[in-house]
Amino acid sequence: MITVNIEPEGKSTTLYKTRTVIALLNKLDLRPTMALVIRNGELLTPDVKLFNGDVITVKKVISAG
Amino acid sequence: MKCTRCKAPASTALPSHNAAFCPDCFPLFFTKQVETAIRRQKMFTHDERILVALSGGKDSLALMLELSLQGYDVTGLHIDLAIPNSSPKARAKVEAFCQQHGLNLQVLEVAKEGLPIPAIKKHIKRPVCSVCGKIKRHYFNRIAREGGFDALATGHNLDDEAARLFANTLRWDSGYLSDQGPTLPGEEGFIRKVKPLYRLTEFETANYAFMKGIEIHSDPCPYSGGASFTGHKKLLGELEHKSPGSKFSFYDNFLKRGRPAFKLLEKEQGDPLSPCDTCGSPTSLDKCGVCRIRETLERNMKEAGESL
Repeated sequence: MITVNIEPEGKSTTLYKTRTVIALLNKLDLRPTMALVIRNGELLTPDVKLFNGDVITVKKVISAG
Repeated sequence: MKCTRCKAPASTALPSHNAAFCPDCFPLFFTKQVETAIRRQKMFTHDERILVALSGGKDSLALMLELSLQGYDVTGLHIDLAIPNSSPKARAKVEAFCQQHGLNLQVLEVAKEGLPIPAIKKHIKRPVCSVCGKIKRHYFNRIAREGGFDALATGHNLDDEAARLFANTLRWDSGYLSDQGPTLPGEEGFIRKVKPLYRLTEFETANYAFMKGIEIHSDPCPYSGGASFTGHKKLLGELEHKSPGSKFSFYDNFLKRGRPAFKLLEKEQGDPLSPCDTCGSPTSLDKCGVCRIRETLERNMKEAGESL
């Protein structure tokens, strides 16, 4: 189980069977250059593996005006 | 994934550059892109004074920090729009940022100029984003000219520029297409305007802001719901995903091949400019757009029995 905090909406969700950053982004319907993916204060590239218990922050980068 | 430059584990993958960078090397890439933009587009020199428009978002704050690190003489300008629950937060971020980095800052309050954005939203029958943009551009130019600055720098990035170009092209708006670009020379009462981040995407400036620990104001403007540029950015984002590099190619090739043609057309058909009767800003009519908005606002509020 992975906990995902989504910004700037401030939403939180839980994902199962999500083993990589790219799989996580696909589940959130985001392309890799549309959001920063952060774990323990470090940025992650799409190929990075995720583990049970990870807490991930997804920061969308498109400014809405 | 490994860093293209030093082979350490990468933190940022950039498909459009067929590269990836670690947290140490990414800021070097960012700096190089800004240096290239300033040099190739002849934006400004180290001897000139630059006014940087600061909204409090990642792009403007990243730009301000990067230019100061490159040794440029920069002063920030924040425009307080007087929007409840939004403007105070943005202003606080900008003030804290400038204080933290020891950077000069000027703040203009639109309410003191008789143009609070909430009153404009209520009393002016035009899209508020359009009027707000007009007011901001007016004061950016006016303050830069009156303060004796050589150029006004804004944090527009490649996504902003490509989305704007896309919107202008959908309408074949020859006026806007003739003068869209990363450097607009100063002329006829207009300060030189530059966009040193035009080679960098929103994703890249977000990475830079994160790595530099910049605290940003990320809440969307409460009045900007459904702004068309956001939709255009998403469309172009899909195109970029399928064909990395297409966004930069679209914009860069417009600058090389498209803009010169529209510039010629506008020279033949464009309206001549003269100073506004009220404030002296350049306009093609007797009064500039912002002075006309102020008059309309005062009239409409009076009719509604309200005052500023």
